[in-house]
Amino acid sequence: MTAESTSLLLVNELSITYNGVSPPVKAVNNISLKLKKGENLGIIGESGCGKSTLALGIMGLIKNGSVKGNILYKDLNLVGLPDDKLRHYRWKEIAMMFQNSLDILNPVLTVEEQVGEPLRFHCHLTPQEIDERVVHTLEMVGLDPAWRTAYPHQLSGGMRQRVLLAMALICEPELLIVDEPTTALDAASKNDIFELLQNLQKQLNFAMILISHDVAFVSQLTSMLITMYCGQAVEYGRTSDVLKNPMHCYTRGLLNSSPQFFKYKDLWGISGEPPGEGAPLKGCPFAPRCCQSAEGCGKSRPQLRYVALERRVACHKGGIETFLKAEGIKKNYRVGEKSIEAVRGADLEIRSGEVVALVGESGSGKSTLAHILAGVLPADEGSVFFRGKKVENHWATKMIGGMQIIFQDPFSATSHRMQVLDVVKEPLEIMKWKSTAERNKAAGEALQAVRLPVTPEFLQRYCYSLSGGQRQRVAIARALITRPNLVIADEITSMLDPSNQANILRELKGLQNRFGFAMLYITHELHLARKVSDKVYVMHRGEIVEKGSSSVIFEKPEHFFTKQLFKEAFRSSG
Amino acid sequence: MRQKTRMRLIEYAITIWVVITLNFLLPRLIPGDPFLVLTSQSAEDEEIVLSEEQREFLFHYYGLDQPVYKQYFIYLGELFRGNMGFSVYYKQPVSHIVMHRLPWTVFMVLSSVILSTLIGTILGCFSAWRREKWVDKFLFLFMIFFSEIPSFLLGLILLFVFAAGLGLFPLAGAVTHFADFQSGWEKAWDVLHHAFLPIAALTISHLGGTYLLGRNSMTTVLEKDYLRTAWAKGLPKKRVIFRHALKNALLPIVTRVFLSLGSLVGGAILVENVFSYPGLGTLMRESVRVQDYPVIQGIFLVVTVCVLLANFLADVVYRKIDPRVGS
Amino acid sequence: MPEITDLMETGQDSTLPGAPGALAAKALDFLRKTAKIIKNFSLLGKLSLAVIIFFIVLAVFAPYVSAYPYNLPSGKSLAPPGGGHPLGTDDLGIDIWAQLCRGAKISLIVGLGTALLAGLGGGLLGIISGYVGGILDKFLMRLIDIMLVIPDFPVMILLAAFLGPSLINIIIVLALFSWVSSARIARSQILMLKEKTYIKSAELYGAGAWYLMWKHFLPEIFPLIAVQMIRLTGRAIISEAGLSFLGLGDPTSKSWGLIIHYATSFKGIYFTEFWKWWLLYPWLFLTAMVTSLAFISRELEQVADPRVKR
Repeated sequence: MTAESTSLLLVNELSITYNGVSPPVKAVNNISLKLKKGENLGIIGESGCGKSTLALGIMGLIKNGSVKGNILYKDLNLVGLPDDKLRHYRWKEIAMMFQNSLDILNPVLTVEEQVGEPLRFHCHLTPQEIDERVVHTLEMVGLDPAWRTAYPHQLSGGMRQRVLLAMALICEPELLIVDEPTTALDAASKNDIFELLQNLQKQLNFAMILISHDVAFVSQLTSMLITMYCGQAVEYGRTSDVLKNPMHCYTRGLLNSSPQFFKYKDLWGISGEPPGEGAPLKGCPFAPRCCQSAEGCGKSRPQLRYVALERRVACHKGGIETFLKAEGIKKNYRVGEKSIEAVRGADLEIRSGEVVALVGESGSGKSTLAHILAGVLPADEGSVFFRGKKVENHWATKMIGGMQIIFQDPFSATSHRMQVLDVVKEPLEIMKWKSTAERNKAAGEALQAVRLPVTPEFLQRYCYSLSGGQRQRVAIARALITRPNLVIADEITSMLDPSNQANILRELKGLQNRFGFAMLYITHELHLARKVSDKVYVMHRGEIVEKGSSSVIFEKPEHFFTKQLFKEAFRSSG
Repeated sequence: MRQKTRMRLIEYAITIWVVITLNFLLPRLIPGDPFLVLTSQSAEDEEIVLSEEQREFLFHYYGLDQPVYKQYFIYLGELFRGNMGFSVYYKQPVSHIVMHRLPWTVFMVLSSVILSTLIGTILGCFSAWRREKWVDKFLFLFMIFFSEIPSFLLGLILLFVFAAGLGLFPLAGAVTHFADFQSGWEKAWDVLHHAFLPIAALTISHLGGTYLLGRNSMTTVLEKDYLRTAWAKGLPKKRVIFRHALKNALLPIVTRVFLSLGSLVGGAILVENVFSYPGLGTLMRESVRVQDYPVIQGIFLVVTVCVLLANFLADVVYRKIDPRVGS
Repeated sequence: MPEITDLMETGQDSTLPGAPGALAAKALDFLRKTAKIIKNFSLLGKLSLAVIIFFIVLAVFAPYVSAYPYNLPSGKSLAPPGGGHPLGTDDLGIDIWAQLCRGAKISLIVGLGTALLAGLGGGLLGIISGYVGGILDKFLMRLIDIMLVIPDFPVMILLAAFLGPSLINIIIVLALFSWVSSARIARSQILMLKEKTYIKSAELYGAGAWYLMWKHFLPEIFPLIAVQMIRLTGRAIISEAGLSFLGLGDPTSKSWGLIIHYATSFKGIYFTEFWKWWLLYPWLFLTAMVTSLAFISRELEQVADPRVKR
């Protein structure tokens, strides 16, 4: 009870269903949130995820829909309040800056009338007082008050945005809801609005709910962040934590789609589309697009659960799953009398669906580590866990949906005297997976995935007659045929010419995006690593010297060696 | 803004010129002798015996013995001085006859415009407000049915049911002839009593269009983003509906009110004849019957200029209430 | 590669031009589509369609469905319905039912004639003006502006008075004042379509005016013009009735409006019972026809342009 009374706004299990369409659409599904005075909350999500409906719901503006749950504003429940009572809260207490559009302001009324009229009905001021306030507020948002006699069609997009802001702040509300403030604004206007919101909040000390699909914009202004998907909150946490380490695959996908965070990486959106409106959803709504969905995900809807302090995630797997974990890996080679420490206590973690680059100079122990992870080499010390289970006796590599490695040298990785078809389906033959016909079919699909022909002639060709690029593709197809959840790619393009390298890399990343497997990408080519990786591990003389998000590491390397490495590599590119 | 108004003025001037020229050319474009062709084929032959004398008069009257361009300038000059010719049948100047009848028609048309617009807009907005409720459905069905029946057919049935059948209204005319009115009120009542059915016929058949437009317009406005803004601001219901919604919803209706005058005048001509109302419509029918061409032309000219004037007025009014136009 | 060529070959096979039965299949397809459209009509729409079909049948078989001639007296004058004359007779003793059947024919001729002339002519003008643009378009726009503000019915009276009463003249006069709407629709559609990217890309592929017309413009515009033509049919029938009511109709062709004209010209009809058949039935026929046409065009409008709601 005490916690509730300190909060300005408390939304409790709010559901909003639109009844105007059949079947009814549940646009907001069981959302709870809390906002203290002067606090900022961000809501992110793709278009149509229910963010705006949530905002309208808080304003009590839902037409043709039913609202369930509670919206407590200063301990008063706004849900079910009759319109003539609710009216006194609107704008005076809770105001909204609507998404900018041509139609958002009444075309036949002047700016002054539209900005000032709430004062007339909420604060009962005289026309003169209203005029003064309007002038003052317009000045505050940086719009020349001379514009107040203008009509909306005479304003530019940026000016309209300011009018909307002035209108929202005219009664000095305690809570400001800002809906997509940056739509259709250029970078300069965007910055203006950003600074305005920041400064005005300092002056007026209102709480703010910021709704946007512009993750970068939201993250700069808010302290708490909610990710919404299909009307449901899927992640809730402190903005800085969420940005650094998203725990839901969807949040991570949103971050990965934002060019502001990853300056060099290729942009890859979240694959698939949100489920169609009104489709009754039984399981986790994100499951069809999720890279770690399992059978259980389709059975019931996950609820928000605490996974860490101030961090809640709605996921049956408790957030992004850790696929591979390596602890204290050590490996010595004996060359004659001398013992060379190839890997000196390396720790590594790969989570579902992410591309981790392991970079370092040649001979830094990258490949050795990779081979240990895959179980090609035994480790001297330390252990490797795949999905939480210690890797022994190759159990993780001899299963469907396990872990696979693709080697550096395509010529030695595939037998020159075997036919393409036999090479590709070999893992299935060994695992004795289903019937021959189905194995052949799977092989065909795997070959198509890597864009190799599936004509009988090609299937019966011997590997020795293939080019290096083709053989590497065959090797990738062989790895993919087991539908792995983790692929370790060890310098797979280093022996190819640039064009083949580009093709194979793009295709592999495309496959990764489509199938959602995690990938450990080992390379000494930093340019390539920068293009594909979400996370980076830097290895130097058998040790991991630096690790983190690629957006941070490539921007601001910390370790001396990393700095030097990047300087060498990116010197030519400036 | 002023530039645009000027442009519109020029356009109207051109239109009036076209109408006048058409009026001038028509009798001259008829192949052969127009008066010969027209004398024999009417249904009521016994009434029009266009004598040789009349024919001569007409021929001379139209100046058909002079070169066409000269005739044209004479015609324009006469028109400019307000001379629309001389009626053969009524033996009076056309302008005199037309101006004598014009007030009745204007009275009828204006009353039905005002009535149909008021009622149509109110019902239309009401319907939009109660959209998909039974009131809306009933009104909609009722309105589309009546909006499709031409006004003179509606007038006929009103006449036979309410005037001839039930005897509630007079059968014909605009005032009771030879009546001795005690007061102005009594006379006004008599005039209204006579005008009720014709105005009702025109209004009802015109109502549907305004209603549909009002309903459509209001429905569109109610779904606009700026209306949601207005609700969000916590304004009183009255303020949202009358200041924010209605002002926008009225814009297309205003245009229509004036633009529909043309078709309303057409309806009025017929309705007047149904009720033998002494306006321009009955005058037109009489003139057609006796083939008094100067009168027909005069009526046409006056009606057209009136309608054009109304259109121009519509432009001005629209500019006044919609800030988006003309800037 | 081989699959792709296979696909292409089979693709060509199925659309081989001039294949036997293709025309029949097309006709069947058209019928099926029409049936589907009618099936989606509201009750009012279906009723209206029935009324129209009834009138068309009446018009086509006019001489066979009435026992008496429409232009000669065949009984007592002003006989009430019954006794051989199902709808009674007029002042000259002519059978009203026979006149009404004949009137259906006249009304339909006037309506359809005007609609065809004005709809196709106006549509063509609009298409050309919109597609060619330039001076022609400017001129047409001015002309349309002028036509729009001139009150049409008084002009029709004027023209009809001067041209003299004959069926063909009436059709011409009506058409002269009805083409504007179709021209405007066609023109605005063309202008709208010309801005569409798919037209521009077709032009980039080298499509000529003829191809664009047949493949893109006409299929888009025709349904709208067709709806407009039905609407024009109704308007023309009303206008003809109005002109006839004023005594400007063709006296040799007994249209419904002309019957009403004679009936209302009959002195003292208000004080008799005669109007109950002499006037009421033509009134009913006219109203039924006009409202049915309007409802049908309203229904079809929704089919032709799904953006129009109700």
